[in-house]
Formats: sequence, C-alpha cells, structure tokens
Amino acid sequence: MIATGPTIEREVQAGRITISPFRREQIEPNSYAFRLGPELLVPRHRELDAAQGVDCDRVEIPTDGLCLEPGRLYLGSTAETIGSTDYAATLYARRSTATAGIWIQFSAPLGHTGAIIPWTLEVMVTQPTIIYGGMLIGKIAFWLPRGDVLPYGGKYASSTGVTPSKLSLELWSRTSSR
Amino acid sequence: MEQDEFAMILTSAAIHDEWKRGRIVLDPFDESQLNPNSYNFRLGNTLRVYSGSPLDVKRENAFREIEIGPKGFVLEQHRLYLASTLEVMGSTHYAPTFAARSSVARLGLFINLSASLGDIGFIGQWTLQLFSIHRLRIYPGMKIGQIMWWTPKGDIELYDGKYQGSRGPQSTLIYRDFLAERTAV
Repeated sequence: MIATGPTIEREVQAGRITISPFRREQIEPNSYAFRLGPELLVPRHRELDAAQGVDCDRVEIPTDGLCLEPGRLYLGSTAETIGSTDYAATLYARRSTATAGIWIQFSAPLGHTGAIIPWTLEVMVTQPTIIYGGMLIGKIAFWLPRGDVLPYGGKYASSTGVTPSKLSLELWSRTSSR
Repeated sequence: MEQDEFAMILTSAAIHDEWKRGRIVLDPFDESQLNPNSYNFRLGNTLRVYSGSPLDVKRENAFREIEIGPKGFVLEQHRLYLASTLEVMGSTHYAPTFAARSSVARLGLFINLSASLGDIGFIGQWTLQLFSIHRLRIYPGMKIGQIMWWTPKGDIELYDGKYQGSRGPQSTLIYRDFLAERTAV
C-alpha cells in the first residue's frame, strides 16, 4: 500500500517517517515534494571505471541558476534528509520537472527501509536547461512493506550530501588482482 | 472490491470492476487493452517541442506543436517531445503509476523521464515525455504505455494541482512554483 499525503504527515509527526526540514505545503496526494540541494557533483572524465572511485568537480549552484548541458551526468541531492524505519521509499521526478526535460534518477527509484539520508539524484537534461538550488524537483512515495523489516546498513547509510557511486568498493578485488 | 490488508497492485479483473463502478476513469475504455495488472493506453496525435534554448525552469518556455499524420512521424534521437495519452485517465480511489510497454522500451523509447508516479484525484489526458535513443517512426493511436493502480493507506486528499483536467501535451508549469514562493515569502 502507498501512503497518502495525510498518512505521510501523520507518520512524520509520529516519528516513523523522517523529513527534515518538513513543510506541510510540500505534501502531495500520495507523496512528498522534495527540493534540490545546493550543490552538484560532475564527473571530471568522460570515461568512468566501475572498479575505480569517480573524480568529480563539486559545483555550487549560483543564485541565478546553472545551465546544465545534455548528455552529461550531474549528481545532485535532496535538500531534505528523508527516510523511514517502517516504510520503503521510491523517488520520482515531478511532472513539472520531467516535462521540462529533466531526469532525476536513472531506473533506480527504490530507497531502502532504514536509510535516512539526503538522497543522491542522477540528474540529466534533454537540452540545455537552467536549474536552481532549492527548486522543487522530485517527489518521494512511501510504501508499507509486508514481512519483517531488515533495516538498511549499506554503504550510503551515512551520506550527508551528494555522494558518488561506491561500486568500486565491491569490485576492489578485481582491481587489486590486476 | 474487497480490501485485504495487503492489497497492493490492482489486477486486470479489479481494474475492470473499478472502471465499471466509476472509481477508475479510462475513457475511451476497451477491454482488449487490459493487461494482467495494468491497462494499455494509446498515443494521442499531437506532439509539442520547446523551440527556444536554453530552457529556464523559472520562465515560460516557447514551443511549437506537430500533428502526427496517419503515416506517422519520425522522432529525432535525443530530443524531447511532449505527447499525450489519447485516453482521459485517473482515479479518486487509487494511486497511479505508468510505464512504457516493454515493446516500446525495446525500441529505445522513453515515455517519461523518471516521473512515473501520478496523484490520486488527477483526471485528464496524461502528458508523456518522449525521448528516443534512435530515430523512430511513431503512429497516432499506437498502444504506447500502461497504467497501474495501487491501493492507498490512509485518508485521501484529492489532487487539486495546476495540471488538473489537462488535454493534449502540456508544457511544464514549473515556473509557477517560483512565483508561488515569491508571494509566500
């Protein structure tokens, strides 16, 4: 079952869903609208290696906006710390964002029960597009799980902002044997 | 429909029942478009493309429209086309998500850009975001995507947003978010 807006608000008050900062007007019928955090990470090289850490430039989004180029990956994050020990989460672009030609994730919408973090977003645009820090960019839905909950304790559990891929940590043996 | 505690996604039979009871809107409705747990929707005949560059989410962006004739229209690769569903769809009782049909995805066509969740209470033609990896000829009325329905938990406050009742492909109204905040401050 998907939590309705009133359920999300009640669960935030009860402490079973964390959304910080929380603004009541960002509640949607069956999700919560989140904002884009103030900075982006931009991979420095055009060729990446799944077994290596990713070198990124850290870019603060200026007050008068930043023009994103198509065909490039920008990592952003939610301005809010969001998560739940009781619900699973899924993240989406808002209709207003997607119809402006902006992706906020790449076929990876699921957030695990127990991860309470600023969520890293995979941002890409279909054409040059000016975006702003703090803009309403996506929405997060909460799903009541069935079965015992095994809380998330993965490698992004302690994220405090935009966090690049840590897949290389799983592939280290491959690199060290090379 | 009987509600059990763990009722999640509606089956074909449940979608059909709820359509008959008027709790799900699918208009026009054709039983042959029901899938095991979704309903296939069709592509309307109008496309919209933004004509200026760069786009700015704080402003209204200029656009032009294209009619898709019976012989179809070739989408250029890596370009955004807004389209719409032919059907008016929505529900005041279930939360919708939508996706490309797998047959469409296998041609390298996105029909939304990470925006697959709708709102309980939105009823209209859905704006699709077409983005193709190859040049691809598409046709009006083709079955392009599928809509799914999910049981909500808790009280329902219906969608009353800026796209309610929309018809045809609609541009983003994201600039209104910024205007609303300026007046709120």
